[in-house]
Amino acid sequence: MIELDDRTLAFQRQTRAWAQELKPLALELDRDPDAIHRHLDVAIVSYLTRMTVPPEYNPDPVVIDGHRFYGTGTLERVVLAEEAAVGDAGLLLASPGPVMSGVLVDAMGDEQQKKWFYSRIMEKPTWTFFALTEPDRGSDAGAMSTTLTPDGDHHFVLRGAKRYVGNAARADLGIVFARTRPGPLGVTAVLIETSAAGFTAEPLETIGLRGLRLTAVTLDDVRVPADQVLGRHLRATQRGMWSAVQGLNRLRPGVAAFGLGIARAAYEYVLDNRRTLNTADRHRLDRLALRLTELRQLIWRSAIAVDDNEPAAGYLASAAKARASRLAEEATLEALSCFGPGARLDHPLLDKLARDARGVEFMEGTGNIQKLNLFTGLVQGGLRRD
Amino acid sequence: MTGRTAAADEWIRYRRTARHDGLVAALSLLYETLCDGAPPHGPGGHVVAPAGFVGADTGDVMATMTVEDGAIVASRSRTAPPSVSRTPWAAWALGTTCLRFGLSERLLDAVLAHLGGRTVGDARLLHQQMVKGGVAEAVIEQLEIETMLAGAAPGDLDDGVLSALNAQITRTDRMLLRLLGAVSFLADGPGQVARVSELIADVYFGPAPAGEHGGAA
Ligand SMILES: Cc1cc2nc3c(=O)[nH]c(=O)nc-3n(C[C@H](O)[C@H](O)[C@H](O)COP(=O)(O)OP(=O)(O)OC[C@H]3O[C@@H](n4cnc5c(N)ncnc54)[C@H](O)[C@@H]3O)c2cc1C
Repeated sequence: MIELDDRTLAFQRQTRAWAQELKPLALELDRDPDAIHRHLDVAIVSYLTRMTVPPEYNPDPVVIDGHRFYGTGTLERVVLAEEAAVGDAGLLLASPGPVMSGVLVDAMGDEQQKKWFYSRIMEKPTWTFFALTEPDRGSDAGAMSTTLTPDGDHHFVLRGAKRYVGNAARADLGIVFARTRPGPLGVTAVLIETSAAGFTAEPLETIGLRGLRLTAVTLDDVRVPADQVLGRHLRATQRGMWSAVQGLNRLRPGVAAFGLGIARAAYEYVLDNRRTLNTADRHRLDRLALRLTELRQLIWRSAIAVDDNEPAAGYLASAAKARASRLAEEATLEALSCFGPGARLDHPLLDKLARDARGVEFMEGTGNIQKLNLFTGLVQGGLRRD
Repeated sequence: MTGRTAAADEWIRYRRTARHDGLVAALSLLYETLCDGAPPHGPGGHVVAPAGFVGADTGDVMATMTVEDGAIVASRSRTAPPSVSRTPWAAWALGTTCLRFGLSERLLDAVLAHLGGRTVGDARLLHQQMVKGGVAEAVIEQLEIETMLAGAAPGDLDDGVLSALNAQITRTDRMLLRLLGAVSFLADGPGQVARVSELIADVYFGPAPAGEHGGAA
């Protein structure tokens, strides 16, 4: 079993305390995703606003028990994601900050681009987004049809459509993946400002995770300065999709922890709200508690592997993510079944958890895609077995 | 049950209407043909009904949900005792189960149509082996449920059996929703119908435990 060190334990205690503030806001944000603007001073939200900004750009990190936290480590990010999702998954996703896009700027940005991006982030609470999925291509993102074409000496033009992009309607900045030429090496990522002419983001109404405000993005000849194209200093093989995959490998343990948080919230809801449990219910809950522990261990293992740059990291994270999305669905259904008929109406918070849980499957790759990735790791030897 | 079942009777109308015309059409048909007096309440005093139906929103309205073919109201009545409704419970329970099964079939149709029109590289997404396997898993569940419901008259299947079938329908729908992709997470598509279908089961039969079929697809 993995045990957390003192530094991470201190962080876990603090984030658990912070997360208490979220639960009372959960249903408000579910009804009105714009409510996030009223809650920017909530401690966890203001932490997320700067989470992942590296020390050279963040002079003022959070200090807990004498330790500084920038959110750049994967293990601390999964600890935070679990605790915050126990508080409210919707609010975690609704927060401003660079979490998803920052990982890519880190992987693909040159010094100038990092400086520009992080100084914008540090200026004020700034939402960002990451646009990969298209209406006709989700899992098969490599076959995307959005194009990036040169337009004069120092500009490009972005043309196409993206879908299911979180936070794009409230964002100032984002990263868009597009194609410069046919083939797998023809994919590139660009930093864009949403104020650019031709950029529109229409909110989509969703069943759950409504705080995230998924959107449909239209890119109607958006002009992009050449210095906003990411990865120009990298080898051709390391730009585009390769970097996206590397970035997603780093984010995946956090998505798994997010699913774990939803599952744990459902479990704790039953403990808090059902005074008496019969033996069968008790047994089911004990079994669920064990499954939460098992998954948490796997997530920590994958996070440590990411932080240690182990080749198996992405595969371990795929295993954790596939398990987490399923457990989120199962735990929320299990929790509802501990209450009688009409539980979905009488326990709106639990109903919300069950709705939120359905979205985890699709975030950062579906269960099938994670399983295919895991299989690749197994047969190609990336997933080392002792 | 003998080797052959009686020809489909009126119960199949709920299922077919749900499959071909949608949730509100089927629930309205159920109300029109089975409701006597007030709509029947679930054991917790809750009602799920098409909006605007007589007696549908007499209690506290707890939720209104829009689906493809109309709106649905969920309410709870603290005052009116369930006995005000003279709707026969056994018929109602079988009717709602057939209706939910028809909605599950409609969801399968949506999966086949949607994935049939998508591609992975040059191949159809629907023809990826894992997808085929996932669809087949859901179809195995549906064939079981269909066989259990075939020829059933009110009272043939007791409440325990109907509860279990409803739990199985929920789990099957979850498999299909995962297959559909993120489109199933949108509030104006098949995923919303599945949400209301789960609510109908929750109100009349109690929430479905995750159960042993949850691992597939
Ligand atoms: C809450 C939420 C947040 C999101 N946030 C973002 C975001 O910020 N940015 C962004 O770009 N996107 C985002 N997405 C989109 C997400 O990445 C896609 O939904 C996901 O990649 C799946 O694509 P799809 O929904 O089109 O499903 P499809 O790819 O159409 O898949 C449909 C079904 O086929 C299966 N499948 C697909 N390919 C294969 C295969 N080769 N073999 C076997 N089975 C396969 C899938 O598992 C699924 O069951 C988000 C989605 C959600 C729900």
